[in-house]
Amino acid sequence: MSTSIETNGLTKSFGELFAVNKVSISVKRGTIFGLLGPNGAGKSTLLRMLCTLLKPNAGTASVEGHDIETETNEVRQVLGVVQEKLLLYPVLTARENLELFGNLYGVEKSVLRERIDTLLEEIKLTSVRDKLVATYSTGMRQRVNIVRALIHDPRVILLDEPTNGLDPQSVRWVRDYVKGLKDRGYTVVLTTHDMKEADELAEDLAIMDRGEVLAVGKSADLKKRFGVSDIEQLFLELTGRELRDSLSGKVKMRGW
Amino acid sequence: MRKDLTEFYRIKARLVAMIMFPVILMLLFGYMFPSGGGVDHIPIVIVQQDQTPAGISLSNSFIYAAQSSKAFDVSTTTSLDWAVNEITLGRAYGVVIFHQGIAQQLSSGSVQLEVILDQVNPTLDQSVKGGVMQIFSSLQPQLSASFGGIPANRGPTINLQFEGIVPGQQSSFEFLAPGMIAMSLIIGGLSGLAMTFSREKELGTLDGLLMTPISRISIIFGKSFAQVVRGLISSVLVFAISITLFGVHVYGSPVLMVLVLLLGVMAFTGLGILATTFANDQESAQLIMMMIQFPMIFLSGSLYPIIQLPWFLQAVAYFLPLTYVVSAFRSVMILNAPFSAISFQVYILVVITIVVYAIAIPLFRRSVMR
Repeated sequence: MSTSIETNGLTKSFGELFAVNKVSISVKRGTIFGLLGPNGAGKSTLLRMLCTLLKPNAGTASVEGHDIETETNEVRQVLGVVQEKLLLYPVLTARENLELFGNLYGVEKSVLRERIDTLLEEIKLTSVRDKLVATYSTGMRQRVNIVRALIHDPRVILLDEPTNGLDPQSVRWVRDYVKGLKDRGYTVVLTTHDMKEADELAEDLAIMDRGEVLAVGKSADLKKRFGVSDIEQLFLELTGRELRDSLSGKVKMRGW
Repeated sequence: MRKDLTEFYRIKARLVAMIMFPVILMLLFGYMFPSGGGVDHIPIVIVQQDQTPAGISLSNSFIYAAQSSKAFDVSTTTSLDWAVNEITLGRAYGVVIFHQGIAQQLSSGSVQLEVILDQVNPTLDQSVKGGVMQIFSSLQPQLSASFGGIPANRGPTINLQFEGIVPGQQSSFEFLAPGMIAMSLIIGGLSGLAMTFSREKELGTLDGLLMTPISRISIIFGKSFAQVVRGLISSVLVFAISITLFGVHVYGSPVLMVLVLLLGVMAFTGLGILATTFANDQESAQLIMMMIQFPMIFLSGSLYPIIQLPWFLQAVAYFLPLTYVVSAFRSVMILNAPFSAISFQVYILVVITIVVYAIAIPLFRRSVMR
């Protein structure tokens, strides 16, 4: 099985703080890769570097063979990203949001129209396609948000805590949909704080803390290696049980 | 309350803007409306068409009195066209014409002089009118003396005929309309862009745009263009209201007017991008915008003539793009100025736009890609 994402010594620091420190991981094509870690572990920073929103200070990374620093456009074209925040415009309808992003990705008009219909059908929102996203429930918005990341038919999907704040029905739907993505050949990188979710969905897992990867491998292998019965136990074993009250070293105030 | 104030204190952009805004505003108003004295050193042109000793003598007396009173800075010419052009170019606010035949008129006891007013600003027009009348009134005894010491009330009288540079009677609003149109551009271009960027930053949707293969420049220009359209729509609205409800006339070329407006919006959107790099949320963006907008509105000559400002505020005014938009737009709209008359303002606007974008684009890139 060939590699979809590869990072070698990838590092990102903000002043004194190393948010991601010499991370080397490899994600196999067509698999779901779970990225776990406590708050501030560096998961989101790692994903932001992979999707070209942040420049690394050191190291290299590639997505589907494209270097994230020198081939940014190619990387953006093969990546679909679902961030923690909704990347949707509330005063546009679901169809308009998908159309906008399809156009920004340069999807051909006729293909785009057909793809929007298919995706809206998949998320069961065809009947409300022309309603403003602002009128949608949280679950409906997240469904649109996920298929927005698929509008240009990427090969790799990065999902940053996609089930956060959703009701159980929506959580179930997202998990099933993510599994479906893998079955359709997409490579998925998923960050989550839900250990069961990670265990259920991901074939390979990486546990990060303080910017470093502490363990990486298949869920069963990791449990066996560390002599634990579930992923939560493994997570606490590796990252500790103490509360994370330490300061990040850099306070970023909004508005300055 | 304490929480809100603490928040205010900790968000530095808001804090700085909150302190600076009233300071700037008060300094501005304090210096704009000085307690004593009116406008002085108003540039005017004297047209000496009568080259006879009597004509030269009368005009020289006027020039001497005008300069002594410090009310006017006088330049002289024999060409009426040149003098009128000085007004169109915004370099003079009035023209006093000493027509041929002054000697004969003096002997007949009544001299007819023509004064052409700029009409671009009613306040300034009044100052020119009042100043010219006062000077001629002070010359009356001198005139009588030159006619053999007869009493002042029996010497030759000087009749002044005031005319606008554009024929017909203008409404006062006519002079304000160009400034109002330019101001609506600011609101559209400057604050619109800063607000849209900061809103997208706050919502997180900017990331969505930045993750697509389109370039950062395209995002900036796309958003700027939307603000250009928005600014032009509001300008057209102000324009339509001015014409239909307040009888404002357009004397100049619509093409030139659109050109000036477009250049103005481009410069303002550049400033908007620059401001947005310092503000991550809408409230901070709004405060920063107000800090830029208010001085610009009051210093640019939109509402008051720049000449009324003290020298240091005049110096500031010449760094503001709105000053050139208002001046050029007014000249085209009211004085039917050709391109050559506003070319200086146009070139300055092009330079300001290029400089602002050259600074704003790298800063914007840095702010979104750390």
